[in-house]
Amino acid sequence: MLSELANYVEQLPFAVAIAEGDWLFPILESIHVFAIALVVGSIAMIDFRLLGIGEGRQRVSELIARMLPWTWSAFGVALISGALMFCSRATAYVENPYLQFKLVALALAGVNMAAFHLVTARGMARWDVGMTPLAARCAGGISLSLWVSVVALGRWIGFV
Amino acid sequence: MLERLVEWLENSALHAVFLSYGWFVPAVQTVHILGIAAVVTTISLLSVSLMRGPAVASGLAEMTQRFIPWAWIALVVLLVTGVMLIITEPAREILNKAFWIKMGLVMLLTALTVLMHFAVRNEANFWSASRARRGAAVMLGMTSLLLCVSIVAAGRLIAYVQDY
Repeated sequence: MLSELANYVEQLPFAVAIAEGDWLFPILESIHVFAIALVVGSIAMIDFRLLGIGEGRQRVSELIARMLPWTWSAFGVALISGALMFCSRATAYVENPYLQFKLVALALAGVNMAAFHLVTARGMARWDVGMTPLAARCAGGISLSLWVSVVALGRWIGFV
Repeated sequence: MLERLVEWLENSALHAVFLSYGWFVPAVQTVHILGIAAVVTTISLLSVSLMRGPAVASGLAEMTQRFIPWAWIALVVLLVTGVMLIITEPAREILNKAFWIKMGLVMLLTALTVLMHFAVRNEANFWSASRARRGAAVMLGMTSLLLCVSIVAAGRLIAYVQDY
């Protein structure tokens, strides 16, 4: 069923245009790379702060408030550019294990982020300045590992 | 001349070693992309601040001091991983127009980053000291952002442009 859907999507006019055009796909790739650079970079800044790496003078809450708009807007761009590229070769990508694992890693990163915001961050007023609690450091470490995996798996997609 | 460099690299011991591991290129490229993430994020944040103008002037100096070291560390990582990629696949880069355009753009961005770094070192309000400087700050921010985007595009296009 998934392959039928992939087949259908792949034959839509915009998908064909991307697949057959000379520059559309590379341009989408470039947009995707720039967007993920901002996603990973902005998240890494928060993770480093949570882990106590680098200068730790800024309040965690302030750093998060400043970086999250970047993270979400860039993620939106990455999502759209990624989806467009996916559609252009859907049947091949659907069976690509690296893409499958990448999506899993993304989902796990989302769960980690939600857990942090819904639970750990509740008590942030207590540790906004200075050293962060173990739960926050774990969240930062897990986040960093997952996002590095996302980048690696993403790169490997094209090496099949 | 470039062909001779390619030949020399292709005959080197490191080339043979790197090439023997199938995972080497994607692994090194992954580290390269993480370096790109650091540079793009740092430069984007500083560029937007520069473009915002005098309202953020004092914050800009502090922000610059905090972020820019990461850009320099990332540049070293990018250069090292870049050289490793060139050693592994010399012709792919050295005989590629997109690669040389990218290198030119990288040098430009490096020069602008030096400017960003040292302008506010001794004078925190450097960019808001005069009207001309405020205008220059906006140009600096816009140009740096544009260069970032172009470098990423040129880097990606290396894989698509084969003739020199």
